[in-house]
Amino acid sequence: MIEARGLVKRYGATLAVDRLSFSVRPGVVTGFLGPNGSGKSTTMRLILGLDAPDAGGVRVSGRRYRDLAWPLREVGAVLDARAFHPGRSARAHLAALAASNGIAGSRVEQVLDVVGLANVAGRRVGGFSLGMAQRLGIAAALLGDPGVLLLDEPVNGLDPEGIRWMRELLRSLARQGRTVFVSSHLISEMALTAEHLVVIGRGRLLADTSVAVLAAGSASLEDAFFALTSGATDYRADRVDGDRDSTARTA
Amino acid sequence: MTRATVTRSGPGTAHGRYRLRHVARMEWIKLRSVRSTWWLLVCVVLAMVGVGIGVGAGYRSHTPVATAAQIVNNALGGAVLAQLLIGALGVVAVTGEYSCGLVRASFAAIPHRGMVLAAKVGVFGVVAFTVGELAAFAGVVAGQAAIAGSPVPQVSLGDPAVLGPVLLTGAYLGLIGLLGVGFGVLIRHTGGAIGALFAAMFVPMFLAATFGPAGIAVLKFVPLFILVNSVAVVTPVPGTLPAWAGVGVMCLYAALALTAGWRLLVRRDA
Repeated sequence: MIEARGLVKRYGATLAVDRLSFSVRPGVVTGFLGPNGSGKSTTMRLILGLDAPDAGGVRVSGRRYRDLAWPLREVGAVLDARAFHPGRSARAHLAALAASNGIAGSRVEQVLDVVGLANVAGRRVGGFSLGMAQRLGIAAALLGDPGVLLLDEPVNGLDPEGIRWMRELLRSLARQGRTVFVSSHLISEMALTAEHLVVIGRGRLLADTSVAVLAAGSASLEDAFFALTSGATDYRADRVDGDRDSTARTA
Repeated sequence: MTRATVTRSGPGTAHGRYRLRHVARMEWIKLRSVRSTWWLLVCVVLAMVGVGIGVGAGYRSHTPVATAAQIVNNALGGAVLAQLLIGALGVVAVTGEYSCGLVRASFAAIPHRGMVLAAKVGVFGVVAFTVGELAAFAGVVAGQAAIAGSPVPQVSLGDPAVLGPVLLTGAYLGLIGLLGVGFGVLIRHTGGAIGALFAAMFVPMFLAATFGPAGIAVLKFVPLFILVNSVAVVTPVPGTLPAWAGVGVMCLYAALALTAGWRLLVRRDA
């Protein structure tokens, strides 16, 4: 369970997150949607206590993140697919994180197996493809067998097989009763993966509803998303309407 | 393709909470699992050994015959080079995490940032002091080996007048490593932090030198000056700090940099 209440985050003159409140429930995959620059990554950092909010707060499993006894056993997160020292092996990267939270070394081999990196575990991660890096990120998130998972754009760089693998993994994690919160700008992918959606634009909450309800009034989830975010997008080209309709129909 | 299944072991299997020893273990794995750590540490020792051999070889047929103190002082002078390497390693131990974003994973694992810094200082400090001492001893031993069979008098490491400067030079190297950690935390950028660290060591030397003899009042507190006049010498140069005071001043600098870094670390967004 993740509960954000009245989150505000400013970077200089930019208001990145504006009085944002939502909750993410266990048992389903919750998609976190919004245009580029809408504050998704900032919100993720606020949840993990990496950035300090200017107002409001977040609770994870009922506690502030910094009060968690064993953070990795409560929350697994992937913020940046490339957040590894390029000279370190995948195994050493995971072993370091495992040690910090008193997680047994055998668990490192387990998660390497789960993400399919067991045979390259000794290789330096600097040579990993983006898809392999995403898998290593997932392995790190699963280390502590956490009840809450937080993933920022996890399908970036994955091939079609990897995307399907990720979708099944996220859904199976949710079925086990975990809280799974996944940001993405790939709406069609979210339509297949998520049951619930939190949509933001310019740092504000635009929708906190089920995929079915949001898509109900429109031809597709994508259409519903564009209708919702039309007033809250900073970086959209003007004349994409025709294209957008055609892609929406074929999606 | 591996099946996308994960089993839940369920909550309540872990007791207590994370402690400094857990974080220290993480920092130790991080430090030892990067090849550049070992390369730089080997280079620290090689710098001292290389200068020691060079000094010894150079003085073998020198007239007048070199004194024992000259050989020791000049061999320990390798620390001028070694300090740059160990200082850079201290910087990179921190900024390497910032440049790739790993620092966010570290702080997500251990939200208590002060504890992460304490563990890094502890683990890196032990390594830096150990290697610093090893390098200082290796430098003097190499210098002695290089004058073997020549008329230059040998020294014994059991002699307190020799052992003292060797031990303090090793400690100085360890402290420069920690100063590097402090600069890394403060500046968070590899190039910027190494540049600032080197500037802090050399620029005051040149500035103070422009004041002529009066400059020594300031110069005697400058790291590089402390090294070559107070610490890495059998007899400190008159008018400069005694060796122990020189190392004390270095402790102060490292503590100041680390305290300033810690205060920023707990306030800044990661």
